[in-house]
Amino acid sequence: MRSLLFVLLCLGVATPQAESMPYREYDALEEYAPSVRGDMWLSGTYRLWADPGRLDWRMAGNPEDNWKLNWKFMDPPFNQTVHGGHFALDRGEELFRALNAKGRFAACLGARQGRLKGLRTGYPRYHAQLRRIVGLEEAIELCAARQGRELQNGSYDNSAVSLFLASKSQGMPIRIQVDKGPMQQAYARGRKLFHMRTGRSNMACSSCHTHRIGLKLRNVAVTTPYGDVAHFPVYRTRFQLQSLQLRFVECNLDSGTQPLRPGSSAYTDLEVFLTALSNGYPVSVPSERH
Amino acid sequence: MHQRGKEPRPTGFLTAPGMTGLVFPRLFRTKPGAWLVSLLLLPGVWAAELPPDAAVDRGVPTMTLTPQVVVHSGRLEWEPFSRDLSAWPTLSHADRRSTEKPRRVSLTGPLEGDATRGRELAMRRDKGFCMLCHQLPGEQWSGNFGISLLGYRLNHHADADLYQQVFDPRVNNPHTAMPPYGTNRILSDQEIRDIVAYLQSLE
Repeated sequence: MRSLLFVLLCLGVATPQAESMPYREYDALEEYAPSVRGDMWLSGTYRLWADPGRLDWRMAGNPEDNWKLNWKFMDPPFNQTVHGGHFALDRGEELFRALNAKGRFAACLGARQGRLKGLRTGYPRYHAQLRRIVGLEEAIELCAARQGRELQNGSYDNSAVSLFLASKSQGMPIRIQVDKGPMQQAYARGRKLFHMRTGRSNMACSSCHTHRIGLKLRNVAVTTPYGDVAHFPVYRTRFQLQSLQLRFVECNLDSGTQPLRPGSSAYTDLEVFLTALSNGYPVSVPSERH
Repeated sequence: MHQRGKEPRPTGFLTAPGMTGLVFPRLFRTKPGAWLVSLLLLPGVWAAELPPDAAVDRGVPTMTLTPQVVVHSGRLEWEPFSRDLSAWPTLSHADRRSTEKPRRVSLTGPLEGDATRGRELAMRRDKGFCMLCHQLPGEQWSGNFGISLLGYRLNHHADADLYQQVFDPRVNNPHTAMPPYGTNRILSDQEIRDIVAYLQSLE
């Protein structure tokens, strides 16, 4: 009897603790616009890279100034060189054709009548069957599994298919709705995560990418979070092909935070937030970054 | 039981005031079965763990993993990372672990730091890595997040102030991007003393 009482006592003491949030520190919470134009109120560099077809080549060639172009001179159409991203694109097309032999793969991804044009610009989106939000790479993983093929989120083949689908939306503006329902909630959570300090260095994404844009880390200038999603998945010299969520893993490791697996809900919320910050900016793949 | 949200006790929950005398004698009088069940029910015990979505290998001491993208493969490979980062809070929604609160410390006794050792620690990627944000003499690839440390001795800061700044800079500026080296156990007491000695030697 006394032992049962003790268990109940513990439960009673424990419940308020379970509800109370752990102590967290946040950078000053900034307001963001869910559109790439919002950068005019953050770094003000947007006017320099607003049109990827008309970048200032003098600025692109100046190592002191080129960060102000948000590295868009490494995307097509400015960057016309052949790099690993082009080979990944070929691989992605090959894989897509194999998976979509009966048209079920494209239908699973949400393509109407098999039309792939503009599919990329609507992801991440709320998945009615799964009752949660999925990014394009996670949707590819799920739909490929239905076709009996393992394409893990973040793997080369998964990102290659994602890159192929992005290339079908080349030049089309990213357009996700974050004004209502679960997408709005994910956007709000993502914004908060962007400002949450974590890890052994106790840093948030915003510590650098909102509050210290243009300052240098190890002689490399940090840039604005606006307009970044448009060139993913991206060819990286070290990572071959990197999806946005693998980029989060790299960011976390570089800033001393234990990374999460791609597809985790926190990363998807961050993806929603950052994609909304690229709303209105044209998809430009295949791109490369060092 | 954790005193979470009230007062962080780095020495562990066993030393929380009032707990030793009140709970533990009663705890040992109860049956061991009830003791175990209660332990499982305590959210402070099972919640203060790594979240399930963390990229870790729980079987090795350095748990943190780094992804390896293999060309023409549908699998994402993971390799052990050079440092273990699993002890600090992650971005996961399931992570219930608290961030360490800012801590005010006082330097006790003479500094007794070694500037040569301090310079080595300042350069190491897993320790100070000061040139990521600060200019240091002899370092070409430095940052400018923080102030330049060239000729830092000429600022004539007190040793105790520098010790506090390296141990936990949030006490001086809550908006800082500088890591709390002492509070987050990146540097030990002696290592911070060495770095302070190095800073005080910069002409």
